[in-house]
Amino acid sequence: MMSPALFLLALITLVPFFSIIWMSFNDVSLMGGLSMTFSGLDNWQRVFTDPDIRASWLISLVYFLSTVGLEMLIGTVMALLVYSLRRGSNIVISLLLIPMFIAPVIVGLLGRFMLDPSHGLYAWILNETGLFDGNILGSVGSAMAAVILMDVWEWTPLVALIVLAGLTSVPEDTLEAAEMDGANYRQKLLYIILPSISNILLVALLIRAMDAIRFFAIIFITTNGGPADSTKIIPIRLYDIAFRFFDLGYAAAVGITMLVFSILVANAFTKLLKRRESAS
Amino acid sequence: MTPAKRWLPFTLKIALLTLLLLWTLVPILWMVLSSFKPNSIITANTPRLLFTPTLEHYATLFSGGNSLWPYLTNSLLIAGTSTLIAVVLGCMAGFGLSRIRIKGKQHLAFWIISTRMAPIAAVIVPLYLLFRYLYLLDTHIGLIVAYLSFNLPFAIWLMTAFFDDLPPDLEEAAMIDGATKFQAFRLVVLPLMTPGLVTTAILCFIFAWNDYAFAQTFSGPGTQTIPIAAAQLLTQTGIDWGKLLAIGTIVVCPMAIAGLLVKRWLVKGLTLGAVK
Repeated sequence: MMSPALFLLALITLVPFFSIIWMSFNDVSLMGGLSMTFSGLDNWQRVFTDPDIRASWLISLVYFLSTVGLEMLIGTVMALLVYSLRRGSNIVISLLLIPMFIAPVIVGLLGRFMLDPSHGLYAWILNETGLFDGNILGSVGSAMAAVILMDVWEWTPLVALIVLAGLTSVPEDTLEAAEMDGANYRQKLLYIILPSISNILLVALLIRAMDAIRFFAIIFITTNGGPADSTKIIPIRLYDIAFRFFDLGYAAAVGITMLVFSILVANAFTKLLKRRESAS
Repeated sequence: MTPAKRWLPFTLKIALLTLLLLWTLVPILWMVLSSFKPNSIITANTPRLLFTPTLEHYATLFSGGNSLWPYLTNSLLIAGTSTLIAVVLGCMAGFGLSRIRIKGKQHLAFWIISTRMAPIAAVIVPLYLLFRYLYLLDTHIGLIVAYLSFNLPFAIWLMTAFFDDLPPDLEEAAMIDGATKFQAFRLVVLPLMTPGLVTTAILCFIFAWNDYAFAQTFSGPGTQTIPIAAAQLLTQTGIDWGKLLAIGTIVVCPMAIAGLLVKRWLVKGLTLGAVK
């Protein structure tokens, strides 16, 4: 029963996998028909010496730490708040979940609409309150903050949903016992709630880490890496190399370095699952 | 606990929740609301809440030369087909994987999960070359294959997790009563799998429907999907916001409703079965 699916999966994943490896050792040209010339380690040497690539990895790191960090923090707070509701928690979480069903392109569209310097609602509020008057997506700094917040807006609900699922497994009698012994909320949070959802938090972290490097459509549609390359995370750089400069061999080498990252995440994820399986 | 002590955190709690709800919902509500405003009000310098609603943006979207219909049919066809293939094959493989005891099963699992996690930008590069070589650029099949590259491993993995929750005793009992393995699967196991199948199908459909990067790279005039229609309008000079917001509303609303329909199983689905 497994063979049709596994055969198809092998076909559509292994063929591209070996292609990308082969491409990374070639100079791939699309001019006048497809042609490949073996170029040894040229592309690989560029990957490790190109200052643009290094800059993009650095921006990616900032983007990754800010988005995932904020999502974990706000998501956990969101979940704790919803969990503590006596009633209405179902409708509240449903409303809070909506952003994560929205196509990243539309999230980018919304960002541009809300931040448009001449008629965006958020731009208007920031302007009226004197907090920021300028082109948010057109200035270095503020553009980065904006694309980070758009990602946070879309994916915080996912973290909240996962953490909320974890909170239902917090032992209630332990909480009650602690309360009777006079523990305050901070103590309950630090010594009972957080330790018992640490595994779930790890799952949320890994899921977000995986998607943070998978998607790039929000930046693609809002700043496309600008202004002055300040939001050019590595997937955007790769897309430029491949489809603006048509340097597909080099793009393949950059792609493989990204793959290494996602394989590490996948490895951590399967290890975590195995550990939980043997624990139960 | 004294009333004063309870009162303060309660207000704080409600205030924080209200803030989070506003942060989450304002952009969406503003988009849907503005899609019914005439363009002159959308682009006015000060935001307006009161206006005479109009359906003109939706009307122009579905009429005239460059209507949204072809984009919509492409999206439905491509996302629908890739979902159907992923769910059918994923269900079969998931059942097999869940029941089988073989050596090296975790290597198989690792392979499946890492294909699901592969960065889209990295997958695009070799697929572009292969599609060009095989004349699959600007074809429906090309995009269906591209979406299967993440939906198939997702469906296999998630269905395995759903089957893992179902004790094998049930189908074993049916087989003792004389059912064949296939009958046991079809008549006993499959009906119990409805939530798993529906959740997997809805999530696969949302992933494919929402994709932009693959469609941007592999589609051509005959195969463009709705996100491409939005992106095209967005890159023009003199953006037609009314039309764009109407497209946004059309892209978002059905997926939000579909997603919330399977809310009970969302955690399991979106954590790839790691959380029940």
